[in-house]
Amino acid sequence: MISFKDITKEFKPDFWKPSFLALDSLSFNIPEGCITGFLGANGAGKTTSLKILMNFINTNSGEVEYSRALGSTWNEIVSNIGFLPERPYFYPHLTGLEFIHYMGDLCGVKRSTIAERSAKWGERFKIRFAFDRKIRGYSKGMLQRLGYVISLIHDPQLVIFDEPLSGLDPVGRKELKDAMREINDLGKTVFFSSHIISDVEEVCDQVIFIEKGKLVYQGQIDQLIKSKMKSEVLFKVKCSPEKLTAIGIDSFAGIGDGKFKFTTLTIDQNKTIRNLLASEISILELSPKRPTLEEVIYKVGEF
Amino acid sequence: MKTLIVARYSFVEIVKSNVLINTLFLGLGLVVIIYIASEFTYGVPHRIALDFGLGAVSLSSVGMATFFGVGLISKEIENRTVYMVLSKPLSRQAFIVGRIIGMGGILFINISIIGVITTCFFSFLGGEINTLVITTFLFIFLEAMMALGIIVFFSLITNNTLSIIFTIFFYIVGHALGETKALSFAVSRPLLQSFLKFIEFILPNFSKINLRTYVLYEQSLPDSFLIQAFLYAVFYSFFLFLVSTLIFNRKNLD
Repeated sequence: MISFKDITKEFKPDFWKPSFLALDSLSFNIPEGCITGFLGANGAGKTTSLKILMNFINTNSGEVEYSRALGSTWNEIVSNIGFLPERPYFYPHLTGLEFIHYMGDLCGVKRSTIAERSAKWGERFKIRFAFDRKIRGYSKGMLQRLGYVISLIHDPQLVIFDEPLSGLDPVGRKELKDAMREINDLGKTVFFSSHIISDVEEVCDQVIFIEKGKLVYQGQIDQLIKSKMKSEVLFKVKCSPEKLTAIGIDSFAGIGDGKFKFTTLTIDQNKTIRNLLASEISILELSPKRPTLEEVIYKVGEF
Repeated sequence: MKTLIVARYSFVEIVKSNVLINTLFLGLGLVVIIYIASEFTYGVPHRIALDFGLGAVSLSSVGMATFFGVGLISKEIENRTVYMVLSKPLSRQAFIVGRIIGMGGILFINISIIGVITTCFFSFLGGEINTLVITTFLFIFLEAMMALGIIVFFSLITNNTLSIIFTIFFYIVGHALGETKALSFAVSRPLLQSFLKFIEFILPNFSKINLRTYVLYEQSLPDSFLIQAFLYAVFYSFFLFLVSTLIFNRKNLD
């Protein structure tokens, strides 16, 4: 849907200071119809990439290519994108509904449609009750929820959220993750940045992982895990530790009641079972061990 | 069309921030000051009313243009509101022009409120309301728009404090230019005179659109002078807004 092609961006903090490289020939694609997570540590270049994508800042080199499905002119493209910046801020003296009307009017959405969509998404994000209040009285979470409604008010094809889960309580995070799946079920593409790996793993089909302005990985989460981690199985057994040592298992951990757990590579699974049975060790549990995305990312990028 | 949407919501936002309450308080203060001053005046109380009124309109509208204008665009960038607005199908030109029109509306309301109070008192104390009085208020509006143009321009290239300092500096220099040029010290020195003419060409010449002295002393002004002054203010403001738009168009919003 959107392709980042060899984007390089340098920033000059001050006139007399040397510039630093924020994005280094960064290339990636946002696939259509998926929920894609944009991962990276703080300062990795996620927000800079999103600002380039939204045309807020220029690049030093490279280009962003937008799919024809989004439109051919910038106005058409942006009409099909719902963007929510990190820590959104609105005019404090307007009410939530007035700001929604403002954004809806700019998108050329009819007032009746604005009313319908704001009611729908306002209920969904549990912010409708505060629509008539002045925005200056909103909490951080309420501002975030209002931002979600505004980003969807023109029924965009692509939704881009910059750190949408920051500032939300656990209930709010779950609600948003569910909402992202719902938005995706409506046929929309969702792209969001986060530095919280577990959130990305929970909702995304695809992940784009950048570090220090460079692409580390783009693709499906499962493939990343398969390619970067060796497949392992987890054993839980009941015996004395000496017996385990006797059959060559040195790395194990006690889990109480004379029980121990250890992992082996999947290819060594049968050999380990035979050894355990030969030593009359009771096998309590045997399960495949799937590493989390977090473990993979730490390993891949020393994140 | 979208420019007008931005203008409308910018106007509503500023009105809702209760800034016009300050205008009403200023109007009330003006009523008291005019009343007291006219009690101490012999013969021309209406002129006192007009003098105070025009001074109050001018200072309040230029002050408002300066202190609100400084954040008109820069605060939007700082607060990241601009990301929400510009992520909609809206050009940067339409956004900045809309913000300026919205602020212009506020200045117009401010001038109208204090202007009505002033002219009422002026008329009540025996003054004759003529077209020059009304034209003077129009020129005060143009003066405020020029100040707005200066502050918006500086707020896009420097920080807020410097923008305010520069605008006040240009306002003072712009008003002093006409009289400085007329000083015999300057008249007798051709080099200084040329330098002042050059400065006058570049800096905003507020003295050119200041009709207060003429209206106070009931001097008539030729239409050609008024038209020239009007065109100068309009084109100078337009030029500043155009430059600001070009800068904003190329500005990295980071």
